[in-house]
Amino acid sequence: MDYTINELMVVATARELRDGELGFIGVGTDGRAFTLAVGIPMAAARLAQRTHAPNFTIFWNNLLSPELEQMPPRLTQHYLTRWPSSYQPVSCVDKNDMLSKGRFDVSFDSAPQIDRYGNMNITAIGDYKKPKVRLVGCLAQPDHFAFIKRPIIITDLKKRTFVEKVDFITSVGYLDGGDSREKKGLKPYGPWKVITDKCIFNFNSENKAMQLESLHPNVTLEEVLDNMSFQPLIPDTIPETEPPTDEQIRLIRDVIDPNKILLLV
Amino acid sequence: MKSKLTDLKTAVEQIPSGSSIALGGSILRRQPMAFVREMIRQGKKDLTILGYPCGLATDMLSGVGAVKRVESVYTGLFQFGMSYNFRRGVENGEIEIRDFSETAQCNRFRAAAMGVSFLPTKSLLGTDMARLNPDQVKEIVCPFTGEKYHAVPAAYSDFTVIHAHTADEYGNVQWPDHRDADDLDHLLAKASTRLFVTVEKIVPHHEIIYNSNKTFIPHNLVEAVIEVPFGAHPAPCDEYYDEDIEHLEYYQKCSKEPGRWLSEYAQKFIYEPKNHLEYLNRALTPERIVKISVK
Repeated sequence: MDYTINELMVVATARELRDGELGFIGVGTDGRAFTLAVGIPMAAARLAQRTHAPNFTIFWNNLLSPELEQMPPRLTQHYLTRWPSSYQPVSCVDKNDMLSKGRFDVSFDSAPQIDRYGNMNITAIGDYKKPKVRLVGCLAQPDHFAFIKRPIIITDLKKRTFVEKVDFITSVGYLDGGDSREKKGLKPYGPWKVITDKCIFNFNSENKAMQLESLHPNVTLEEVLDNMSFQPLIPDTIPETEPPTDEQIRLIRDVIDPNKILLLV
Repeated sequence: MKSKLTDLKTAVEQIPSGSSIALGGSILRRQPMAFVREMIRQGKKDLTILGYPCGLATDMLSGVGAVKRVESVYTGLFQFGMSYNFRRGVENGEIEIRDFSETAQCNRFRAAAMGVSFLPTKSLLGTDMARLNPDQVKEIVCPFTGEKYHAVPAAYSDFTVIHAHTADEYGNVQWPDHRDADDLDHLLAKASTRLFVTVEKIVPHHEIIYNSNKTFIPHNLVEAVIEVPFGAHPAPCDEYYDEDIEHLEYYQKCSKEPGRWLSEYAQKFIYEPKNHLEYLNRALTPERIVKISVK
């Protein structure tokens, strides 16, 4: 069956989610940024629940374990307020405590800049004090990278996104590689996978540099390298990303996102 | 208890230019927009904004050049996109910015609420928010375990402004049974020095006292309370009205182009209406009210 790249990214993300885990989904602005930050993670969480991880739950907006089967038709304020869920904290203090106490297993993060060691920038392009482009700030992304065991990065592969060094470290991945992250006093976590529209990366267990894990079907290595400003580690044989099954596609199209809210662009 | 009832004009007159002001709400929801519009009408300048994410309020104040400095976690308009006025202000070097992660900024307000001068955090270790802000993020070591932390200073502000659902005249502020509390309003209130609360509706005291478990900001924290229906418009107020999508899209259309927001949007919706009721007459038709009201 034909599938879209978004559907492939949903399936690849879902594959990383384990039964019984708790995931943190952040907020996205509009358009593609929303699809990457919210749409794909939400669809992946629901697909995981429907398939191999029925007890996977999420925290999103102010909702702990919202009923994903009862996802509202729109994501405006009123629908968020009344989305059936297990828990709506009385303020963000509770969410922040859950974060820094380490109660989340995975998070889903994207950024306009990411470097070889998985450091992320969502704050400023250029000089911080007088930037070429001012971005949104930090949100809880630094907290995800500091306190969550396996942050999953979801972003499109672009030369201007995958840079040798981010202009500003909003969120610490593996910092300068090796054990530099732990030396700063951070827990030995760090980004788990990078799921893009062309390929999937992980991080080398020794030097912590980004390395190619698999190429999506019909994508060449050359195409990947052409869309990056640094050279990742490349294994001798590169597997192909497992494509979605017919059943997974059916679930995404008919059950999970029939109104095209999550995977619009 | 004494009555804290006042009006927008009188409350805003208390705030001198150059003040630091913490603004409530989050992302888009329940920001004190009517209060902000009155601040702009009264020409407040050189403000320091302390926020959790108060994107729309910050963007509006930035659009008239009223902002000197922002300390916050996020400034954007959620599904409506970037906050262009704010962005231009930072890019031009007019707005000084200090970014904090959500848990770090939360701890800053928590410190202010506790009455201590700082709290520790681990969320800024290794980040450029720490490296480029040595005045506010300092390395410390736990005297018990030797672990590395940063100390972040209490987020004290001269004024705090929150928009909420209901209150009595004494400033006992209540939330409804259903609400979206994805914000720090409860903590901001505790952290405040001078707290002004605008509410959708002032209710009789006797409606409060038999449900005092719903009071999330008590009267002793509040300096002034003001009834401002649709006080968060065009942002949403959970359980009262949704975001005004058409209005916010128009806002963004104007703010994307340098100059257009100030010459067009700000004239139409901030300067020409002399007060909040005139704003409502201009911004809301009966049809629009039906459309955004929560049923």
